[in-house]
Amino acid sequence: MFMSKFLRKLYRYGFLFMILIGLILVITSSVHAQKMRAEGKTLPFTDQPQLNRDLVEQVVVDLDIDSSGDVSSTLPPTPVQDQCLHCHIKGEFTNLWIPLSRWMILGTIGIAFAFGIFRNAWVWKNRKPWETFTVRISKWIDARYQVSDILSPILKKPVPTWATRWWYCLGGITATLFVLLGITGIMLAFYYKPTADQAYSSIQFIENQVRFGAAIRAIHHWTANGMVVMCVAHMLRVFIMGAFKSPRELNWVSGVVLLISTFGFGLTGYLLPWDQRAYWASTVATEIAGGVPQIGELILVFMRVGWNVTEATLSRFYAVHVLVLPIMIIVFMGLHFIMVRRQGLARPL
Amino acid sequence: MTETDDKQDKTIPFFPDHFMTEFWVAVVIILIAVAVGVGGMIYPIGLGDPADELNTPDHIKAEWYFLALYQLLKLVPKTAGVLIPIIGIIIVAVWPFIDKKPDSKQQKRIRLIGTVLFMIILIAMTIWGGMS
Repeated sequence: MFMSKFLRKLYRYGFLFMILIGLILVITSSVHAQKMRAEGKTLPFTDQPQLNRDLVEQVVVDLDIDSSGDVSSTLPPTPVQDQCLHCHIKGEFTNLWIPLSRWMILGTIGIAFAFGIFRNAWVWKNRKPWETFTVRISKWIDARYQVSDILSPILKKPVPTWATRWWYCLGGITATLFVLLGITGIMLAFYYKPTADQAYSSIQFIENQVRFGAAIRAIHHWTANGMVVMCVAHMLRVFIMGAFKSPRELNWVSGVVLLISTFGFGLTGYLLPWDQRAYWASTVATEIAGGVPQIGELILVFMRVGWNVTEATLSRFYAVHVLVLPIMIIVFMGLHFIMVRRQGLARPL
Repeated sequence: MTETDDKQDKTIPFFPDHFMTEFWVAVVIILIAVAVGVGGMIYPIGLGDPADELNTPDHIKAEWYFLALYQLLKLVPKTAGVLIPIIGIIIVAVWPFIDKKPDSKQQKRIRLIGTVLFMIILIAMTIWGGMS
């Protein structure tokens, strides 16, 4: 009895223990690396071409660089056994992250595995009913915050089986694509520089230097196209099925706002690469906006921040793409979803 | 995510049944996105020439969803070409307040035919805009 209580405590604090180990490893390995670097004991890659000492000797003698025939002063000192090999694997780049991550990952898996074995044994031995980890977590949260009172009506809402047809998914697909665009957009914004000098090269950097940068950019580009298609498809489905009629008029209007926001994202995002196509397509697009009678000039100057597309236009388009439109689309998506939830899907004829 | 309008409908609970269906749809979408990402690493999107304010290229092509609009502008004068889409969007936005009659199968059919025709014209204009 005493033993199992002690073991239980040990494994319960196992993860905290792992974090502590991780911290100690980070500190000691970086101190170790610093000390080695300061003493000049860092060695080059072991797979780099090794100095051919016989050839050097031959060259020195042939060119009569050193008449005494003693070549020891022209050659670098013979390297000693790689001092890092007692912790690193031969041939492996001697940095700190690879062994550290090895310890962390395998250690965490080991702790989790040991915990699982102990838990299973304890439950079996004590004849307790088995509750899965997720059930235990939700019971823990519910005992403190009574979340199930709020969540139950939402989660248990009956869904009529006609609502499971595929064309009712189009709106949700659009929302999923938007979430993807948001995530990839944030990742791109980590590296993109919104100035005339650096925009082009920052995107080249993303595509060539950033790990998976080309993938993230491709996902962002094609998901944007996909979102336009899905948004229009959803709108057509709602229109054809007459789901815009009373009492759902405002929902339709909010949907139109979402459609315009989607196109706005496309328009503002298109300028950001700052290549010829982006620059001139945006010039033409703002020119068209300037064709509105009476207020066209005002619109054009507002969009371009002046009469021509300049670096200031890029800043404005970037701010709209990253701040204004996301806030707007999230607010209107929230309203849209709340309205659908409250009113339910329109029953087909 | 719905309510029953008619109590005789056969229903399934939102959680976990419908939620899992939606979840698998989302997983498929994400897998497609990952596939697109892998494709993007093999064939990156790339960039054109850097922007040059002094050199206008011969062919300026907009993003594909604006091609229909550009093509329309080549056919009608500028003001009309700008006003048609704007008035169109306004009509679309207030459509539920125009069309207030209770729905019927005939109305649905009219809307379906109208939509199909409109989409054919839109796609044709887009392809035409893409080629010229």
